[in-house]
Amino acid sequence: MHEILYIEDDVEIGNIVKEDLEQRGYVIRWMTSGEQAVEELGDADLVILDVMLPGLDGFTVGQRLKNSRPAIPILMLSARTSVDDKLQGLQFADDYVTKPFHPDELAARIEVLLRRTQRDFPEEMQIGHLKVNMTANRIITDDGEEIMLTAKQHQIFMYLLQHPNQILTKEQIYEAIWNEPYLEGDKTLMVHIRHLREKIEEEPSSPKIIETIRGLGYRVRQ
Amino acid sequence: MKKLRNSLLTQYLLIILVATLILPLSLPVVSVIFYNSLEKVDDPVRYYNGTDLENMWIETAKGLSGASEAEIHQKLLEMNHIYQEASMYWVDDSGQTRDKFPSSLAVPDTWSASDAVEFMKQNRGYTVDPFTVVAFIGHEQQEGFMVLQVPRTDMVSPSDQLRAKYNYMFPIALLSIFALFILISMLFFYRIRKRLLHLQKAMATPEATGIPAMIEVTKEDEIGRLEQSFNRMVKKLETSRSREIEEEELRKELIANLSHDLRTPLTTIRGHAYRLQKESLSTKGQESLDFIDEKVNYMGELIENLLSYTLLTTGKYPYYPEKVDMTRLIRNSFSSWYPVFENHQFTIEVDIPDRQLLWEVDPQWMHRVLDNLFQNIARHAKSGQFVAVRVENEAIILEDHGPGMKGKSNQTGIGIGLSIISLMLKEMKLDWDIETSERGTKIKIQKR
Repeated sequence: MHEILYIEDDVEIGNIVKEDLEQRGYVIRWMTSGEQAVEELGDADLVILDVMLPGLDGFTVGQRLKNSRPAIPILMLSARTSVDDKLQGLQFADDYVTKPFHPDELAARIEVLLRRTQRDFPEEMQIGHLKVNMTANRIITDDGEEIMLTAKQHQIFMYLLQHPNQILTKEQIYEAIWNEPYLEGDKTLMVHIRHLREKIEEEPSSPKIIETIRGLGYRVRQ
Repeated sequence: MKKLRNSLLTQYLLIILVATLILPLSLPVVSVIFYNSLEKVDDPVRYYNGTDLENMWIETAKGLSGASEAEIHQKLLEMNHIYQEASMYWVDDSGQTRDKFPSSLAVPDTWSASDAVEFMKQNRGYTVDPFTVVAFIGHEQQEGFMVLQVPRTDMVSPSDQLRAKYNYMFPIALLSIFALFILISMLFFYRIRKRLLHLQKAMATPEATGIPAMIEVTKEDEIGRLEQSFNRMVKKLETSRSREIEEEELRKELIANLSHDLRTPLTTIRGHAYRLQKESLSTKGQESLDFIDEKVNYMGELIENLLSYTLLTTGKYPYYPEKVDMTRLIRNSFSSWYPVFENHQFTIEVDIPDRQLLWEVDPQWMHRVLDNLFQNIARHAKSGQFVAVRVENEAIILEDHGPGMKGKSNQTGIGIGLSIISLMLKEMKLDWDIETSERGTKIKIQKR
């Protein structure tokens, strides 16, 4: 159960959001002002912070929260939409949702942020015919065979698994794994993906697990 | 009176007046100064001029009437003291030469009447050198005569000698006066010109605000008054500029607040619609909720667009251009839209080459432009079920098979979105072309 600190002064919106998120299984602590935010933070897993607050504004509150716990993910909610706000917010905020947001969108963003902190990363995932154990770093087929990957292949596969259903561009993957800027025309990643597929796909010529999105990149669907 | 004194015209007329008075006067004035001052170098007790010398000698001789030899000797001695370069002597009534100065003077010791006549004949006229004066002593002609001989060279006074020596100074002095006048008038115009140029430069070089800086007013003449007017104008411009900024700020604030105030109830409406959706509703009720949700979305976008449009048209939308690899940016942007098109069963064509295409743009802006365009396709071109993203010949091409922009879509208000795209592309120095028909729309973005 994840605990979320929610700071919102608008009672109508606050009620709806609190109710919805509680139905989704989160524990919500709702405050209508940011004055006591740092004291109330406790061991919350995430903070949802409205920008326009009475007294201390959301930016100041967010800054203070980050100062006291730099790792805490902060999701900013705002009805102010000038780009100034976005830039200012994102200096410390991890994401930004603009009103009027859809409750599903808010929930999706919360999920992404929490997953990024890796705390609720599922221990085991079923992808196609593969069972992937994330903690033990083991990949086992439905037939019980274990697949051994090289370090790079493993890193690439894990990176894709950490962003399920998301199209990752060649640049994004390359830069995340190799930690250096991607040079146009570099075939390294393509070669690694080909070898990876030879190991994990049932039919490497028509891959089911790692999907190629032509012209864009790759995706693992869950 | 003060105004008159400070006037450039007055100053100019003064220069002209002084010139018209001084130039004609300069000749006599210079001559007077030249001659009078030089005369002071002359010996005041002696004469240089022939007539003066002659008169002086005759008067002296007359004055010696009845004088003793000693007295005559004394007189000649005095005269010799004054006219040292002259020779003089006297001849007594018996024809004997007496008291020669200098004593070595070669003259006959005794004079007969014919000697005297001959001497007189030889030494007459204005050209004879030495200049000779013979005068009878006393009133009668029996007391003898005395002779004065002055070499012609000594008949030129020191002042005349100086004059001859420094004659060239006279035209130089005159020319100097002319030159002085020309210099003063040039200086007068040079200073006017310099101040005018200074003023012109001040007008042409605006500060960071776009308004020229005020200038220091040092004089109260016509140019000074012009400078004062210029400063007044600058002041007025500054006031109006700051008022304009204030008003713009106010407008921006107003629209931002309005946008906030509109979004808050929209969020509540959406939340309640969402809550209702979970209740058991008839199909019609469900449709209504979907419709509400769609409209809330649409209003949110309209508010955002209104704010963006206001910021863009007032130049307040933050703009940070940098070198951006467009192929990477398009891939990123389209990746997040890909699932949306996928869900609507679009045929998706992506042809983005694996090479850099560097454009100087603000990545945030470019994302915004592409998001708006993809959103338009997702929303208005669903019926065509086709989207293509290509980079061809340094141009970005987006294509759909929708009903076209002229076709009636169930949502209007596309106008302001396109205006924003247009403004942003223009600011980033990009051109865009739209080919639209009922069979689809093709948008081409390229560098200008």
